[in-house]
Amino acid sequence: MASELHSQHTGNSYPSDQQSLRLRQDSSPVSNQNYPQFNWSSSPAEDEVDNSGPPRDLRSIPLPMSLKRAVWQVQQMQVPVVSKVESWKWKKTKSLHKLKDRTRGFLYFITLWGKTLQKIGGNFGGGVQSYFLFLRFLVVLNFLSFLLLAGFVLIPSIVFRSVGTSLQNSTGPEECMNYNPNPEGLVVFYHYFLDFLSGTGFMEYSYLFYGFYNNTIVEDRSFSYNIPLAYLFTAVFYFAFCLICIIARMGTAARVAVATGGSAVGNYSKIVFIGWDYGCLGDQATKLKQKNLHYRLQVDLEEERLRKQAAALTLGAKILLYSLRVFMFFVALGLIFAAFYGIFEATNFSQSRTGEEGILGLIFEYLPSIVITAGNFVVPMLCDQIALVERYSPSTTVILALLRAVFLRLVSLGVLLFTLWRQITCEGDTNSQDCKQCQYNNKLYPCWETRVGQEMYRLTLFDLLITIAVLILVEFPRRMVVDNSSNMLTQWVGRQEFVVPSNILGLVYGQTVVWTGALFCPLLPFINTIKFVILFYCKKITLFYNCRPALKTFRSTTSTFFFLVVLLFGWGLALVVMIYSLAEIRPSMGCGPFRFFPSMWSIVPTSFYRLSQVTQEFLFFIGSQAFSIPLFTLSCVVMCYFIALASVYGNSVALLRSQIKLEGRDKQFLVKQIEKLKQLEMPKQ
Amino acid sequence: MGNKQTIFTAQQLDAYQDCTFFTRKEILRLFYRYRDLAPQLVPLDYTNHPDVKLPYELIGSMPELKDNPFRQRIAEVFSEDGEGNMTLNDFLDMFSVLSEMAPRDLKAYYAFKIYDFNNDDFICKSDLEKTLNKLTRNELTEDEVRMVCEKVIDEADLDNDGRLSLEDFQHMIVRAPDFLSTFHIRI
Repeated sequence: MASELHSQHTGNSYPSDQQSLRLRQDSSPVSNQNYPQFNWSSSPAEDEVDNSGPPRDLRSIPLPMSLKRAVWQVQQMQVPVVSKVESWKWKKTKSLHKLKDRTRGFLYFITLWGKTLQKIGGNFGGGVQSYFLFLRFLVVLNFLSFLLLAGFVLIPSIVFRSVGTSLQNSTGPEECMNYNPNPEGLVVFYHYFLDFLSGTGFMEYSYLFYGFYNNTIVEDRSFSYNIPLAYLFTAVFYFAFCLICIIARMGTAARVAVATGGSAVGNYSKIVFIGWDYGCLGDQATKLKQKNLHYRLQVDLEEERLRKQAAALTLGAKILLYSLRVFMFFVALGLIFAAFYGIFEATNFSQSRTGEEGILGLIFEYLPSIVITAGNFVVPMLCDQIALVERYSPSTTVILALLRAVFLRLVSLGVLLFTLWRQITCEGDTNSQDCKQCQYNNKLYPCWETRVGQEMYRLTLFDLLITIAVLILVEFPRRMVVDNSSNMLTQWVGRQEFVVPSNILGLVYGQTVVWTGALFCPLLPFINTIKFVILFYCKKITLFYNCRPALKTFRSTTSTFFFLVVLLFGWGLALVVMIYSLAEIRPSMGCGPFRFFPSMWSIVPTSFYRLSQVTQEFLFFIGSQAFSIPLFTLSCVVMCYFIALASVYGNSVALLRSQIKLEGRDKQFLVKQIEKLKQLEMPKQ
Repeated sequence: MGNKQTIFTAQQLDAYQDCTFFTRKEILRLFYRYRDLAPQLVPLDYTNHPDVKLPYELIGSMPELKDNPFRQRIAEVFSEDGEGNMTLNDFLDMFSVLSEMAPRDLKAYYAFKIYDFNNDDFICKSDLEKTLNKLTRNELTEDEVRMVCEKVIDEADLDNDGRLSLEDFQHMIVRAPDFLSTFHIRI
């Protein structure tokens, strides 16, 4: 009956049903340690089969240490019986295990910020730690992307700067080729600082921006390097590389979610049995953790109560609540669109006032970034107030707030890009007066790619400056005020909490800006790596000095997956921008590696026809139907196989689960039968 | 290899390495931590298997354990006499199970025993109530404690006998990936 599930007693078996039944009936108070049955009489033959087994299995058996050592001694005495080949194999596996342990220890030591992350996790919990893990992932991703771009674009450009022939010798109209970014005349000293902040002046015509790269091809006897082609392919491969990294990371997070059977363990069991962190040290931290658990339980009980209340609402009250929610939804939407309109106007205004001097000019240049940041502060606060009216359950409120903030941040960036596009391409109309000559607005933008790159550069820099400014001007003073004054107002406001969702969105926004700008500003991933490293240390400092541990925690296991999904949204936006710039807009004629080409992508066909005939035929074959259709069919078959496999596993998991329930009922029935029989026997005796 | 230490024989060290998840260095470091709790009781020479037991009060005063609300249960579960007085074997066993390399099933087995306050191989309602009170420092009201206990048994009890057996507990742990990182003491 219970044999199928509890068969296969190996060396590390736990008390089975029958044994625990028996033990429960005659357990005395003295013997309260029920050891699992260990197979003392295992023959040497069984040990030979399981050669890598003995060292591993012994540690994982739940026996007290004295018994384990006795077993170990028995095993040591049995070892000489094993044949020479197997004993050599066993020694090798043992040293391999030791090597693995040692490398694991070493890797843990050199992992970037490993110790810091552990400290953060211990003091502030898994939610905050997941933010820092995400930040570390982005730092590594940006650094690897920088190495990619440097290796294929930057270094060849530096090396072959003065060598090489121009790829296309055609010219265009004189006005289109007129591009003079170098400042003329005497430059006032503080201009260098302003230029550094806005990417103009001495920074404009440098390796930082697209405009500096040449459209040369270097050819030698056996070596040729096509710089424009390398630029294009590196940018495309950079996007593919980031996609692969994100999906690989999502895969590990999703695997965990699938292994838990789709339905996470219930909230209450989780809090009671897994809520306590045994690594929590110190009296303060323990008290805080206990308060945290208390709060979480109360929140869950409250949610339960609200759910019961919501189910018991009268029809009239329900209608009122739903209409209120719909109204609030439109209010939130209206707020977001107001923010978009503000960004639109600000970008137009900023572009119309370029060329102003001094601080005012700097402000005008930074106007879009200022408006975006202001919107990102104000609108979520207002949306929080709206959420109070809507009265959804706490978990729904959090998800809704996140979705609104994601929408706001990513689409505000989209609005900025859209206004830029309007001005560069004269609203898509290449026959309008400004764009007729060069198919882009060459009066405003003699080198439009550099302009877009500058805008992205400014957004990145501004983001970092604002974070540091908020840290110094808001967070440290707040802590000092709260600690030193015993005013009721300040105590009510209290020390700040580290709010994970909005910080994550800041990271996603920053990374999306970098992806959008990487095609036009190849050094942007490098700048972003430095920015994120600075951000890590700033956030760490503010976390430890200014924040109190959050009373309301953010669930960490599912949230990693959610962060990566949001990051993919940003990637998608950047991909749309890149594809459009590659395919539709005419590259500037005065600068850049794609000058004189009708579009950036057209370098690929041009270079293609320079390849040898054999290579051309091979590539044609790969692209032809005779190859791609069988390949497509094969990948469909493989995917169907995996889907079928997954559904079979899901079915067997459901079957086993119901089997466990049935076994439990069988057990209860048998126990009742035993008691009944006992009662029948008793009167007889 | 080659540092001369005279605390253990080579065979003893090998046995400890195979029976715990610690390396040689870590075992010696743990021995010194054990000894630091009571230098006058613990000899420096373990080659002839001295029978030394440290009382629970000393174990419970270790910085890693002194703030843990379950420290008494942890000591009781891992000690041979069930009272919390630990020999060096018990000490190493305890930290080996609580280290990060111990497998999930092993940790689940011992976690179950820790939460089973009355040692009857089942986590019943009274065990749950005691656990809850230790977790929240007795701040939940009677009603709330009762509701939470009911919910936990609802969620985790698969064979419907009103209490959690080891299998129910393990089944729940499998679906909670956080368990490995929370049931972990760094030493």
